[in-house]
Amino acid sequence: MSRTIGPAVGTVGGPAAACDDRAVPVDHHRPTAPLPSPAGAPGAAPPVGPPPDGTGRPGAGRSWPAELLRAPVAWRTWRSVVYLLAAAPLGSAAFAALAAAGLACLLAMPLALVGVVLLGVVLHAVREYGAVSRALAAAVLGERVPAPRRRQPADRGLLPWLRAALGDLDGWRAVAFVVVSTPVRVVGLGAVALAAGTAVALVASPVAWLVLDPTKVAADGTVHRSIVQFGDVYVDTWPEAMTVAALGALGLFAAPWLARAAAAVDVALVRALLGPTRLVARVESLEETRALAVDDTAATLRRIERDLHDGAQARLVALAMHLDMAREELVGDAVDAERVGRARTLVERAHRDATEAITELREVTRSIHPPALDRGLDEALATLTSRSAVPCRLTTDLPVRPSPAVETIAYHCVAELLTNVAKHSGASRATVAVAVDGGVLHLRVTDDGAGGARLVPGHGLAGLADRVRTVDGWLTLSSPAGGPTEVAIGLPVRA
Amino acid sequence: MGGLRVAIAEDAAVLREGLVGLLTARGFEVVAAVADAEALAAAVDADRPEVVVVDIRMPPTHTDEGLRAAIELRRRHPGLPVLVFSQYVETRYAAELLGGGADGVGYLLKDRVAHVRELVEALERVAAGGTALDPEVVTQLVGASRRTDRLDTLTPREREVLALMAEGRSNAAIAAALYVTPRAVEKHISNIFMKLDLPESETDHQRVLAVLRYLRS
Repeated sequence: MSRTIGPAVGTVGGPAAACDDRAVPVDHHRPTAPLPSPAGAPGAAPPVGPPPDGTGRPGAGRSWPAELLRAPVAWRTWRSVVYLLAAAPLGSAAFAALAAAGLACLLAMPLALVGVVLLGVVLHAVREYGAVSRALAAAVLGERVPAPRRRQPADRGLLPWLRAALGDLDGWRAVAFVVVSTPVRVVGLGAVALAAGTAVALVASPVAWLVLDPTKVAADGTVHRSIVQFGDVYVDTWPEAMTVAALGALGLFAAPWLARAAAAVDVALVRALLGPTRLVARVESLEETRALAVDDTAATLRRIERDLHDGAQARLVALAMHLDMAREELVGDAVDAERVGRARTLVERAHRDATEAITELREVTRSIHPPALDRGLDEALATLTSRSAVPCRLTTDLPVRPSPAVETIAYHCVAELLTNVAKHSGASRATVAVAVDGGVLHLRVTDDGAGGARLVPGHGLAGLADRVRTVDGWLTLSSPAGGPTEVAIGLPVRA
Repeated sequence: MGGLRVAIAEDAAVLREGLVGLLTARGFEVVAAVADAEALAAAVDADRPEVVVVDIRMPPTHTDEGLRAAIELRRRHPGLPVLVFSQYVETRYAAELLGGGADGVGYLLKDRVAHVRELVEALERVAAGGTALDPEVVTQLVGASRRTDRLDTLTPREREVLALMAEGRSNAAIAAALYVTPRAVEKHISNIFMKLDLPESETDHQRVLAVLRYLRS
């Protein structure tokens, strides 16, 4: 597998991002559950994927001749062999058990519910077998396939349980897996054994020929000193014997690929039949991002409430208090110059409270929705970048206007990234580039600072990544130590 | 009154300073003005204030630190008068605070700070071991009470009197607030006690307790 070399690269995005092994998927939220259906779901890919040129290039993979020469001793080969050795007997046993259980169900059918209940139990058991198969693929080959979600019976009791068990599509898919994968495993293992055995025999044949000195009598009565024969061709000279050995050696290099292919086909079946279906994977991804969206909204509301409570609201209370104190100074009979003076001081303080409350309210309202955004993302970003603490160059290319939600997300992303640049990077300049290309709004924020930025769960950048995922967007980060730092974000124009 | 020793805990600097200025101008002695619950506990131990004013929402979580600090302070220093401030009325907060007894307890909305005289009166009442509940708090206690059938038998006027009693006001204060004679107030009060089947109480304070107990039961 390719490994990223060079700058630290992280990608967070929808399913398409996850199945792209050019970038290292970073999933902070469910470390145990990989992103949905990597290989199996090209059709379910969201409208946006990471840039095709890939911010993270593959590491220098081995050249194919080297790969070919290494095949017989490669880890991958032997893992595949071990996998087939374990999977074939397991599959055969499951196949036999399933056949027996199927027969039992069929025979029990006339006995009212018994056959049906038995079928439900069998489906349950087959799902467990599916779990074992996933675990085997994960343990031996490192191929992690997420488990499909289990359907809970709608109610207690036998009938709801039966309904859930018999209507469990994943159970039936697991049955299909047993039926299809077992021949693959058995035939695959057999073919590998045959190929490897033949190859070894051929390689060893010159030695056997020399030591055993066999004689063979052909149909026409001629005697050959040969141990290997192909039809009427008897291998009985040194050049011929060495050619045969060379053929065997070739076989030794080819057999590993047979093992790998068989294992790969089986893993593909595991993915297709034992993983969540494409639609389910998409639903799960949507559920996750919806939860992110809800959390994000709640956090935003909480921040706004906090800002108002600690800021403008406190100022207004102080304002009212100072005004009331001033009034009290001016009420009564003995209003002398001293009391008027105190009242003036209090009124001045109240005035200061009022101006500060206005400033704070303006900050809060701007943080909710910058007014400039009504006139377009480019204008809002122009205002934003001109206020940036670090000098910032902005380029925009927006032939189409993104939807308001996307504009708002884009604006807040740039705002937060520029704040990060000012706070953490120590950069002397930054650039913001915004362009719409092929239905995707691309944002690129770079700085010449110290680099070393990371996606830490629960913190700024990861939070941004979560936010862009809510509209099927993605975020990639490249920030090697020493800089420069580049954050690229893609958002569907319509979301 | 005057010279009453006060400790203030309020995280918003503008309000903290405002309160210090206001109370100092009114003759209180502010012995401590701090920004969080921990500092308040230390200040109470060190300076022995006669009454504590505390904001419910303070760092670090900005939820109910001040309330928990108030309850803890009253556990450690039984009878320590505490006046809590909040931007909102939370019935649960009021119930928790009053759960440990209503004497020397105040719960006011921050709006009350803007009515200097009411604030000072409330603070003095609490310092003297009385109760001061914001009208909003009382409204919510009445609204949250399960005794609605009995409460419904009160006339509108009697409900007003009940609310003012629950705030901790004296007969004279109630009479002034409603523009009626003290005698009329007494009459309303005895009607209320009869209708709600409450024991007659000697002092203002016992009366408040009876009413609060009734509303919370």
